[in-house]
Amino acid sequence: MSSLEWLRQQGRQMSLLLVRDAIIFSSLMIMLSAGLTLTYMTTKVPNFAHGEFATLNIYLNLALVRLLNINPYLGTIPAFMLGGAVALVLYLAVLKPLMNRGANYVILMIATIAYDMILISLINIFADYLNRIHKLITRLFQLKGFDIEIFGQPGLFIIAPVLAFIMITSLYLFLNKTKFGIAMRAAIENPSLAEVVGININLMYAASWFISGGLAGVAGALMPLYMTCNPDIGIRLLISIFAASILGGLSNMYGALIGGAIIGFAEVLGTGYLSTALGPWVVPYRPVIPLIIMMLTLLLAPKGLAGIDWKRFMKKVG
Amino acid sequence: MALPIPLTFLIDLLTLFGIFAIISMSLNLEFGYTGIPNFGKMLAVAGGAFFVGAVPGRVIAYLFNIPAELDFIKNNLEVVSSLNQVLTSEPVISTCYLLASLVGAAFAGAVLGYVASYPGIRLRGDYLAMTLLAMAEVLKIIGDNWEPFIGGSLGVRIPDPFRWVGGEHRPLYVALTILGVTAVIFVYLELISRSPLGRTLRAVRDDELSARVYGKDVNRLRMKTLVVGCAIAAIGGALYSFLTASVSARDFNRVTHTFWPWVMVIVGGASNNLGALVGAGMFVTLRKLVTFYKSYFETIVPFDVIWLEYMLLGLALILVLLYRSEGLIPEKPTKTLKRNYIVNKVLSRIKTKEGT
Repeated sequence: MSSLEWLRQQGRQMSLLLVRDAIIFSSLMIMLSAGLTLTYMTTKVPNFAHGEFATLNIYLNLALVRLLNINPYLGTIPAFMLGGAVALVLYLAVLKPLMNRGANYVILMIATIAYDMILISLINIFADYLNRIHKLITRLFQLKGFDIEIFGQPGLFIIAPVLAFIMITSLYLFLNKTKFGIAMRAAIENPSLAEVVGININLMYAASWFISGGLAGVAGALMPLYMTCNPDIGIRLLISIFAASILGGLSNMYGALIGGAIIGFAEVLGTGYLSTALGPWVVPYRPVIPLIIMMLTLLLAPKGLAGIDWKRFMKKVG
Repeated sequence: MALPIPLTFLIDLLTLFGIFAIISMSLNLEFGYTGIPNFGKMLAVAGGAFFVGAVPGRVIAYLFNIPAELDFIKNNLEVVSSLNQVLTSEPVISTCYLLASLVGAAFAGAVLGYVASYPGIRLRGDYLAMTLLAMAEVLKIIGDNWEPFIGGSLGVRIPDPFRWVGGEHRPLYVALTILGVTAVIFVYLELISRSPLGRTLRAVRDDELSARVYGKDVNRLRMKTLVVGCAIAAIGGALYSFLTASVSARDFNRVTHTFWPWVMVIVGGASNNLGALVGAGMFVTLRKLVTFYKSYFETIVPFDVIWLEYMLLGLALILVLLYRSEGLIPEKPTKTLKRNYIVNKVLSRIKTKEGT
């Protein structure tokens, strides 16, 4: 009887840990998928380098924390700047000249992959450099030990959702309440009309790329506090980011938020419960979950959650 | 009698060239002719190799009465070495095994291409690109973790169909086989590109709407192209496994098997089989030279030189896209019947009509 009670308690304990994990991962996913969706809305091209925007800042934060003894949460500020700068370079130096030459979206996608390769190269060179010159562990490392504690919980559990909330709310206020933001939305919705009204479209697009990269950078800086990181983590993240953005509809910021949250919870809870039910061998297959969600979305509702006519849907169901 | 070193170098080069030529030609069919952004090229290549690692070896072990308690994966070394002993004196069976495996790999690749493209084929190409990329990564994860399939992270050795030619001539025979397959595929794709089908595919790429207006089922054509392209790429992956006589999921990654073929096709010149060949040839030679001089750089810089190669290729691709997007060998107008031939044909028709 008491052992059963103990088992139940253990189970509850584990569920709570899983939910905590899911909340952290969802917050990171929300920042990442919101950024990808924002650039997709402006430039109409899925950015295959988005995962690397985050990965680059994993290593930036590693260097800041380990070499300069900076609090890992302060590292999010330079990470925002670096992520934004890297994204801005992609837009200004690669995508915009290509668009001016009339390249179609396939060419733009290849260009983002080429840029992705350059970033992978930089990340690995930086990781090798930190490893060989400064003797830091740069492959399969974590920074969990540098996290602060809030109410007996890891700080990330509080700070990641709060940070995601603040960033998304400020993005919302920016897009809806400021003149610049409204101009940006106009540039996204109807570029030629916006141009006629005198909005500088290039500035707007560049700003959206900067914000997108910055969001990815913040998520990346927080990543090593949550999970084991490696230079090739970008592709793993990219699958989840694409799944979240496609689920959200790829052309709706609020869809991206919901998509990110759903993917985050589905991945963490799905893997957690399946591994207790079937055994720990299921854990490496975690990316299968976002892939299945992505495929189902494309089959059932290709425009994502944002594209479903919810009123009609409820009428049909109810 | 051992082969001289320059010759082994050349054979090595040609082998690698053949494999990458097959993969890049398949991508050229998909992207160059039909405009499908296949960012999961690795899916089919790895699929073909995984098939060769998982199926033919087990079938052959069953046919040669290898005791059932010897598992193909767990006792891989024992099973494969006893099979190799048998195959040493069986050139006919070895060749049949090789050809049947290639056909099977092509079939596996086609199935993968169908399954992977099914959800996204109706949508704009970027959705397809994203799903193909994700599928490829997931296939690799499965190959890397599911041990009964192809031995998980350790990989698996497969029976060697070139045992009968003897050790020192093996590289030559492998190279000739791979180049032979490359030539067959080249001719096949060249015939496709000159046929009405080839022109239809170009129409789908250039103007989907007009193709639809002329009654072409665009989605079906795209799906078929992807299935054929994946089958060809799977043959490339299968040949690579026969070259090393082993299969491991770790050998496949999106840089080598997706990004490089893209570089080859675009630098060589898209929608142009010759361009794909030139791209593959240039690229393989460059890589060989880089590996040759790698040790020299290794002493100077505090990181693995391989990463510099990534950066150079990424930069090169962006520069080519910006300043010479048609590649080294630009697309030529489609070959149709000669004008004189058509005129003569029409004239003779008219004459025979006048005669009657």
